[in-house]
Amino acid sequence: MSKVKTHKVIGLRSTRLSIVLFLFFILLSNQFEPYNQSQLANIAMLLIAVLSITLLTGASGQISLGQGAIMAVGGYSSALLVTRLGLSMWLSFILAIFISALFGLFLGLAAARLSGPYLAGTTLVMALAIPSIAVRFETFFSGDVGISVDYGMPPKWLTNLIGEVSIEEWSLYVVLPFTAVALFAVLNLSNTRTGRTWRAVRDNEVAASLAGINIARTKVIVFVCASGLAGLAGALYGFRGLVAPSVYPTDLSLTLLTAAVIGGLRSIGGAIFGTFVIVFLPDLIEKVTGKLAIPETIGIYLPALTIGVLLLLTVILNPRGAAGALEHIRHKKKH
Amino acid sequence: MTSFLSAFFSGTAQGAIYALVSLGLVLVWRGAGIVNFAQMGQAMFTTYIASQLIQNDYSYWSAFLIALISGAALGALVDLGLMRPLTSRKNSQLLTSQSMRTTIPVIASLGILGVLKALAGIFWAGEERGFPSPVAPNAIKIGETNLAITGFDLFVIGTVFLTLVLTTIFFTKTGMGLAMRASALNPEVTRLSGIKVGWVRTLGWAISGIASSLAGLLVTPKTNLSPNTLDLLLIIGFTAAVVGGLSSLAGSVLGGFILGYVISFVNVYSAPENVFIAILVFLLLALFFRPQGILGSKQVRSV
Repeated sequence: MSKVKTHKVIGLRSTRLSIVLFLFFILLSNQFEPYNQSQLANIAMLLIAVLSITLLTGASGQISLGQGAIMAVGGYSSALLVTRLGLSMWLSFILAIFISALFGLFLGLAAARLSGPYLAGTTLVMALAIPSIAVRFETFFSGDVGISVDYGMPPKWLTNLIGEVSIEEWSLYVVLPFTAVALFAVLNLSNTRTGRTWRAVRDNEVAASLAGINIARTKVIVFVCASGLAGLAGALYGFRGLVAPSVYPTDLSLTLLTAAVIGGLRSIGGAIFGTFVIVFLPDLIEKVTGKLAIPETIGIYLPALTIGVLLLLTVILNPRGAAGALEHIRHKKKH
Repeated sequence: MTSFLSAFFSGTAQGAIYALVSLGLVLVWRGAGIVNFAQMGQAMFTTYIASQLIQNDYSYWSAFLIALISGAALGALVDLGLMRPLTSRKNSQLLTSQSMRTTIPVIASLGILGVLKALAGIFWAGEERGFPSPVAPNAIKIGETNLAITGFDLFVIGTVFLTLVLTTIFFTKTGMGLAMRASALNPEVTRLSGIKVGWVRTLGWAISGIASSLAGLLVTPKTNLSPNTLDLLLIIGFTAAVVGGLSSLAGSVLGGFILGYVISFVNVYSAPENVFIAILVFLLLALFFRPQGILGSKQVRSV
């Protein structure tokens, strides 16, 4: 069973961790060329979505194969707010959180009645259906073409302060504060009463309900929180250039789940690790296949194959993911 | 009237295929308590095998048969190689929690789906290809008038009907079929009466593999074949299984046909873009008003 940690000053450790990661990203980005800077920004965005799975599946035991669809809700909300109502990008991101959370409320009300495979199947259907709504109501959502949005140019005061900033770097600077706040929130949540309630529901519903926990309400709250996070990730993800059904395919939902599982469903460090893997592994494989002269027709399927095999190996050999393995090694050393 | 009849007949043919998919899902669910999201990935793979054989000048029917056999083999392999060790392992910390016991197999089946898709892409280059049918897809004529049903639709309906009859006989008349039903109802008692529950489960996976392979062979002449074509079929099959009742074999078949008519009529009287939304709405309605399904038994959860 997971140990119950008591922190006198609950926010301190997580604040430190969030700031360290924030600085780490910025230092890393200075070493990189623009392509990898944008990949780093991708990691920072997707990490928020993976964290939503850490909450949903890791902390409360519910599975969603439709986080990509909720990302689409966030993406469309912010893109429409900016293009139709002329709101500022920052405000639209914040509002996207609330709109997706509201969406998560409805989803949660349905999901609270479901468990395990029912929930997985329903969210998978949702992952397919929601992008098609954009095609169905083409005049409002711009159909397959999508809505073009971007982070804009870096503001004057920033370039005055630290010199030339590339567009890729700017996207990273926009995303990072959100990632840090999300990380901070999730880190804290797992140590609070709410987080423990979620874990109780995950581990044994009967025992949790006997202890006075309202199971249905707890599940709905988890869905609301996770959807808010996923919606924020989706808004940031869309502002890379385009909000369209093709930006949030079903595969995105599955990739996010893979990241969370490979890293370790119950660990936030694992979520970070898993997100790095799914973003950088394809690049790494491409480099290797380029050197080995593997034909391109095969090469394009290798990342998917590797990630699938990694997922299977994780589930079979080490269901607690990379973070679990690390903990295991550390545990052995102590004794 | 003609559009109604053609929607009705194509709905019946599509529904027959959905019934197979949903039957496959329910077989595994009843036996092992797992919804196999890799099911149509397995079917996609065996349909590619059949397509490869036909390209190498094998006859349609021998390729058909080999695809069904490899479907059974693949299903059994998934159970023996992955699901059985996964669910029988009790020492893992993650699996001690209730919800994770149902979640981990779902994740594992998604892993298989990903691997099978990537392998199909590597072996067969992943581009869309046609798949032959033994019957021409032309409308049947009586005298000069075209009927609303095509020869291929009739072939599909006939094949599925035959399969359903055989399945019914298997489950009501043979010892193996009765053993499968018994172990789905109460594994413990079944084990005590001397039936090897583990192997009965594997048989369930194999039969599910055959049913979904057959669905793949029957649907690809119309949809073409690519690593992703059968994904939609899984979604529809799942919805059909939920609508009919995940715990009921007859319900799954009924659900398949209902979904066939819903989708076909939405296609004809509304627009093809509305199909996904119709499926989602239908699934949500089913979950809200009858979560155990039309023919499913009550008692879904213990709290």
